[in-house]
Amino acid sequence: MQPTPSPPSPSPAPRGVALLFPGQGAQQHLMAAGLYHAHPPFRRLVDEVFEVWGAEGAALRADWLSGSPDVDLDGVHRAQPLLFAVDWALGRLVLDWGVRPAALLGHSVGEVAAATLAGVFTLEEAAGLMADRVAHIASAPAGGMLAVHAAADDMAPYLHSDVVVGAVNAPRQVILAGSEEPLAESEARLRAAGFTCRRTRALSPFHSPALAPAARAALPALSRLPLRAPRLALHSAYTGGPLSPDEARDARFWAGQPAAPVLFGPTLDALLGTGELLLLEAGPGQGLTALAKRHPAVGTGRSTARAMLPARARGDASDLRTLRTAVEALAAEGWPVPDRLPVAAPASTP
Amino acid sequence: MSDANTAVTELSVEDLTSIMRSSAGEDESVDLDGDILDSAFTDLGYDSLALLETVARISRDHGVELGDDVLDDVETPRDLLAVVNRAIAAA
Repeated sequence: MQPTPSPPSPSPAPRGVALLFPGQGAQQHLMAAGLYHAHPPFRRLVDEVFEVWGAEGAALRADWLSGSPDVDLDGVHRAQPLLFAVDWALGRLVLDWGVRPAALLGHSVGEVAAATLAGVFTLEEAAGLMADRVAHIASAPAGGMLAVHAAADDMAPYLHSDVVVGAVNAPRQVILAGSEEPLAESEARLRAAGFTCRRTRALSPFHSPALAPAARAALPALSRLPLRAPRLALHSAYTGGPLSPDEARDARFWAGQPAAPVLFGPTLDALLGTGELLLLEAGPGQGLTALAKRHPAVGTGRSTARAMLPARARGDASDLRTLRTAVEALAAEGWPVPDRLPVAAPASTP
Repeated sequence: MSDANTAVTELSVEDLTSIMRSSAGEDESVDLDGDILDSAFTDLGYDSLALLETVARISRDHGVELGDDVLDDVETPRDLLAVVNRAIAAA
C-alpha cells in the first residue's frame, strides 16, 4: 500500500522583502538592456517612463541602448533619468508580481524611484522633478565623488568646506564629494596616506554643498506638487529611518537631497535591525547587495541579499539568469512570482 | 633557486582568502569558508572598492605591481589569482 502523502507542512511566514534602489555611480552601459529585449513586462514599464519624458524620453532610450551614446552616460543628463527608469521599472515589476514589500530604501536618486513607487509622486511628477533637478545640477560646477576604503571618522583630515562626506555606505566605505579641483587634491593626499580610493561614475559634486544652489532652485517646482504620504514603508537614507507622512510631504526635504549626505550604511543597519528580511536590489549592478552581504545580519543568514541584475551588464542571457535567481529567492520564501520568465536562447550566450 | 623563489611568492588561494579577510573590518561579516574560487566577488560581499583594497594589500605584501586596469575582467578569486600570478611570474 502506498503511503499517503503527508500534507505539506505549513510553510513559515515569508520573510519581509526590502527593495534596495541604487543611485549615481551604479549606471552601466546597456544596464538591464537584456531585460528590455527579452522580458516584455519590463519593457512596457521602462517605456512608460520614457513616455512621460516626452521627446527627451526617446533620446534617453536611444542613448541607453546605443553602442555609442550621443551624451555621456555618466553625466547628470543621462545617468540620473536612466537610473530612475531602471530602478522604478524593476521595483514596479516586483510589485506587479503581487509582492508587498516591508520596506523600500534607495541610495541617492534611488530614493526618488522608491518614493514614486510608494506614491509620494506620480510617475509624471517624478519625471518633471527629475528633469528640473538635472537642469539645475547641470549648471553647477564640475565635480565628482570618490569612494574611500575607510571609516567616516577617519576622513576629517581630508575634508574642508568644498570636500565633504557625501555618503556613508558601510563601516569601511565612504564617498567623498566636492568640486573637481579640491576633490582631486583630497584624493592625492588620501592615496599618499595609503588609502584605497576609487572614483565613482559621476561628473557632478553630488551630495556636497556645491549643489546647494541647485537644491534651492529646485524648491519652487517641488512646492507646487501635491506631495502624498507614502503608501509603502519608505526608508530614507537622508533621515536614517522610515519617513513620516509629514517628512514625505515636505518639498524642502526632496529639493535638498542632491546637496545632502546619503547615510545608506547606517539606514540599512537600522532596517536590518527591524527583523529578518529578503533584500532585493532593484537596479543596475550589485553594489548595494555586496554592501548588504557584509552586514552581520546577512552574513549569519538571518537576512538574505539578492540582486535582480548582474554585477556587470554582460548581455541578455546574463540579465535573464540573474532575474531568475531573484525570482527563485522570492518563491523560496513563498512570495508570489510570475509563472514563466523568458529563457535565454543558448545562441545569445556570450 | 629562482624556482624556489617563485614557489614561495606565488599567491595561493589560502593567501588570497587571508588577505580578503584582513581587508574587512571587525564589525563586518564575510564568509569565505568553503570553495570560493569560482564565486563572484560580489556574492562574497566584495564590490569594486573592496576588491581594489584586496589588490592593494596583495601588491604590498607580495611586492608585485598591478595596474589599475587589472580588475577589468576579474569576477572571481580564480580570475584574480591568475592575473596576480601572471604578474608575479613576469616580475
